[in-house]
Amino acid sequence: MRSHYLRYALARAAQAVIVILLAYVLTFLVISVLPGDPISNSLHDPQNGLSDAEISQVVAFYGLDKPVIVQLGLALGRFVVGDLGISLQSSLPVAQMIGDALPSTLALAVSALALSLLLAVGIAYGVQNLPGKWAPGLLRSIPSFFLSVPNFVIGLVLIELFAFRLHVFTTIDPNSPAATFFAALTLAIPVSAPLAEVLIANLDQGARQEYVLVARSRGLTQAKLFAKHLVKPSMLPAVAMIALIVGELLGGAVITETIFGRDGIGTVVQKAVTSQDLPLLQAVVSLAAVVFVAVNLAADLVSPLLDPRLELGTIRREPVTA
Amino acid sequence: MISPTRFRRSLLAITTAAASLALLAACTSPASSVSSATASATPVDGGNLTFLIQGYDVGWVSSKTAISSYEGNLWGELTDKLVYVDSKGALSPWIATSWEELNGAKDFVLHLKEGVTFSDGTPLDAAAVVANINLWAKGDATRGITKVGLFPSAHFDRAEVTDASTVHVYFNAPTLGFIPTLAYHGTILLSPKTLALPAEEQADLSKEIGSGPFVVKSWKQGDSYVLEKRKDYNWGPAALGHTGPAYLDTITYKVIKDASVRTSTVVSGQADVAYNIQPQEISSLKDQGFTVGTPQYLGFTDGFQVNTTAFPTNELAVRQAIQHGIDRTEIVNTVYTGDWKAATSFLQGNVPETGDYSTTIAYDQGKSTKLLEDAGWTLGADGYRVKDGKTLEFTLTPNPYVPSTQAEDELIAQQLKRVGIKVDLKVVDVSGYTAVIAAKPPLFQQSRSFVDVGTVAGVLTSQNKGEDWYSLGTSDTKLNKLADGIATSSDRDARAKLAGELQQYVLEQGYAIPTVQLIQRLYLIAPGVQGVSYNGLAYANFYTAWIAK
Amino acid sequence: MTTDLFTGRLRSIPAAGRRVAIAVPPTVLAAVFVVLVVLLWSVVPGIFTSHDPVTGNTGEKLIAPSPAHWFGTDYLGRDVYARIVYGTASSVTSALVAVLIGLIVGSVIGLASGFLGGGVDTILGRVVDVLLAIPGFLLAVVVVSSLGFTTLNAAIATGVSAVAVFARLMRAEVIRTRGSVFVEASYLQGGNRPQALLRHILPNVYPSIVALAVLQFGMSILVIAALAFLGYGDPPPASDWGLLVSSGKNYPTAPWLVYAPALVIVATVLSVNRISTWLRQAR
Repeated sequence: MRSHYLRYALARAAQAVIVILLAYVLTFLVISVLPGDPISNSLHDPQNGLSDAEISQVVAFYGLDKPVIVQLGLALGRFVVGDLGISLQSSLPVAQMIGDALPSTLALAVSALALSLLLAVGIAYGVQNLPGKWAPGLLRSIPSFFLSVPNFVIGLVLIELFAFRLHVFTTIDPNSPAATFFAALTLAIPVSAPLAEVLIANLDQGARQEYVLVARSRGLTQAKLFAKHLVKPSMLPAVAMIALIVGELLGGAVITETIFGRDGIGTVVQKAVTSQDLPLLQAVVSLAAVVFVAVNLAADLVSPLLDPRLELGTIRREPVTA
Repeated sequence: MISPTRFRRSLLAITTAAASLALLAACTSPASSVSSATASATPVDGGNLTFLIQGYDVGWVSSKTAISSYEGNLWGELTDKLVYVDSKGALSPWIATSWEELNGAKDFVLHLKEGVTFSDGTPLDAAAVVANINLWAKGDATRGITKVGLFPSAHFDRAEVTDASTVHVYFNAPTLGFIPTLAYHGTILLSPKTLALPAEEQADLSKEIGSGPFVVKSWKQGDSYVLEKRKDYNWGPAALGHTGPAYLDTITYKVIKDASVRTSTVVSGQADVAYNIQPQEISSLKDQGFTVGTPQYLGFTDGFQVNTTAFPTNELAVRQAIQHGIDRTEIVNTVYTGDWKAATSFLQGNVPETGDYSTTIAYDQGKSTKLLEDAGWTLGADGYRVKDGKTLEFTLTPNPYVPSTQAEDELIAQQLKRVGIKVDLKVVDVSGYTAVIAAKPPLFQQSRSFVDVGTVAGVLTSQNKGEDWYSLGTSDTKLNKLADGIATSSDRDARAKLAGELQQYVLEQGYAIPTVQLIQRLYLIAPGVQGVSYNGLAYANFYTAWIAK
Repeated sequence: MTTDLFTGRLRSIPAAGRRVAIAVPPTVLAAVFVVLVVLLWSVVPGIFTSHDPVTGNTGEKLIAPSPAHWFGTDYLGRDVYARIVYGTASSVTSALVAVLIGLIVGSVIGLASGFLGGGVDTILGRVVDVLLAIPGFLLAVVVVSSLGFTTLNAAIATGVSAVAVFARLMRAEVIRTRGSVFVEASYLQGGNRPQALLRHILPNVYPSIVALAVLQFGMSILVIAALAFLGYGDPPPASDWGLLVSSGKNYPTAPWLVYAPALVIVATVLSVNRISTWLRQAR
């Protein structure tokens, strides 16, 4: 069993590395179609008064004159050793720019993840335990509603309500705990919806199962029952889902950070897009892929340990089987 | 360390908000703000002001072609200038206590205030001024530092130290623009130590040492900048009627990109000043008791520079059709408020030499149509004109430095559609705008302020290393002659006459297509903030401002 | 954006559990009504409003909602309701384009992968892994910035980011159906592979793919609105819903400029999601 697991783990790790490298190549090819770059743009600004020869010298310095495939090779070579290059717009090392932006986004994403789990468990608990038909029914429709509201609308409404009307937080200090909470909530609401749906589905299934009846007849309280028998079996798919949710959080951060005025990875993406800063854009996308693949890998490696019944060969292909 | 301050600030914000709500509830008439203003008319020392601004995306090299409207706000508090200019264009002494114009406006002598120091302790003396003037006029190519864009350097010869408080400046030809340019927000006095640094080090704000009423306390590039009052400051412009240090303890410039967030943050009492808000919001904000400063600067109006080499504006008839196809009154009434005026030239109305050419650029749909018909542009089925299989079409990019140019350009697109010209819009932010300008599209907005009309001569054509705004090079001999005449004139009346001819000619040729008199700098100011004054470049002076308790 | 999460859920519903829905719940009827109205807006906007969406009456700018202007007017005096109605075509049609791209490309990959198996499966599986590895919205942003900022390109970008989801579902369904008894039986009767594919697999795969497509449609409306909100769609005077929200938020004193298009987006996506849920349950 041990060696079996080890072989499985190594194979999965190797696959993960391949996926990351391929993702890098794919992004590189997609963004090298981008017309123009900030270097040539600013160099051609007549106010700089540079001659064509001088311009091509600088362009060559940044390697922008070489064929795409050569540029790709060079960039990939640097990427493998962890060199992310220099931003074309600000001339700062890309790694430094990402490093500066990362803490803010991490704080946002981690809070959002925690909030979405809380929301999802809360909704599922309510569905299971609220009395009557109306309240649980209403709760059941909440995930679907959460999935239907654009997160920029959620953000705008939260800011208007809690910052400008109720003064719970201030837009001047977007990194304050209160502001981070509401930014995280913006991000958490759409993410919590599928989590809640999975939990509810599991609970529905579990509630029909005999062992719950048995447990109930033994006199366990509702809350204990919920925790012991219903949430626990849901943990496995939830762990698998977290991997996918990480991707969601990174994507959603672009909008959320823009709206809340936070300086994070999402803002970096936006700047990189508008100023055609290829190395920067490339680095952020690759970073997202690395994070996603790493978390996924971790989930795949942890899952068989959580539930030994799982067949090792089948896990990777269906990480989200609910 | 932060939390007690923040707690206090939020408490303050809540109380302020509660107070303003109570005020609003009591009486919604604007009279309430007036009464609160008069209640505490004596300036008080102390107070921290939070100033919300759109963004600082570039470094802090001071000497360059043009200082952005955002940087200018910060520079104005950190540095002093030799001359002060008020909102009407009148010059008055500042660091230069007096000046002499000699030898037919070819030579100038500046007498400097004594005892002025930079914040690093270096004296602001004649040697420092000479170092500054040299960099403004010539830049330093070896260090990648450009000259100051509007400095009349075409005939600059040299600047010399006569004694510790006297500077003599020599030009090869009459340069009436020299003294007024000393009040321009690009000609700021910096410590010689700063000027000696290479460009990349000058980009570091903490190395920018000025002599102004405030100094940099702390900053996070692209996010927030805290300035702190200089306690020994005692050399502000006499015209402001205030001596000694500033009233405010600190000014915090905080970057908030979104105009509506800036507005709402000030309205909700969480900040004191917001820069550049939506003009259409002004009247409702004034009703709520807020002050909105709408200073008009000396310089070029809002409107378009035309690239005369690009399709379709390489054709005179098209340029003229656009000139007459724009209804400037409708723009003022729709996009702006009563604080704005339609342009009558491509120069702002408060520039003394500006004439009224509103008939030359009058909105006349029939005239535009006829111009285009005569030039062979026929109306297609889609309502747009075509010639030689090409649609009469170009792309406008709203200037992200000027509030509500997007709405303005959308309206212009509708107006030009009436005469069969198709206008597409491309919306970019400040960082994307550089690329647009570099590409020189047919029509593009570039606002620029100046203090003296003489500087106009240096930007329109490419003579004397001019900026060649219309891509004419030196091909238009009439324009060359007019511009040269203005640049080298030694007589103000003769120069004003030439400036008039130049305006008429540029507008007739459709080289410049003005829209409205530009109010580029809008200040939304919370009721408690008093004593804000504005200079001729439409920047607010917070040196004179204070916060009512 | 969250679609991959659903694939798992869709697939988890056992095929044996299919039942025919007899009664259509009233909420579904309402949802169908909303979607129908929105589709009509996109096809024949002219019969829903007499106002011009591009050229307004500048004298009537920023008027609050009233009987004359249901959703008020904007900063150039244009009727907001008319702008929303005329903006439907690009907001909704582009979502359809996105779904079609995802559906067609994804299905082909999934079919080939599931049907041919072996090396093809491995290679295509890796391609899908790569597409999945880049967060959907980020991928869409990168693709649209590469193609240029138009709504059509935003639709293509959204479609590309949905390819992986469809591919995975299709592959799984194909493998499941291929293994079922009647397909094996058709082999035994001498049927060849393409015939088996057409005759048996597609009809069996169809219901779950449709349910996913409907769900993706709602998601795509949101993604395209988000791209338009960031300014990556058609520039003004186009009136994509996301763009209406982002330009409306510049006028805090005219909140209807934000809330009217926001409500329309929510109502549309909510309805689409309701239909999708119903389709899944009714399978």
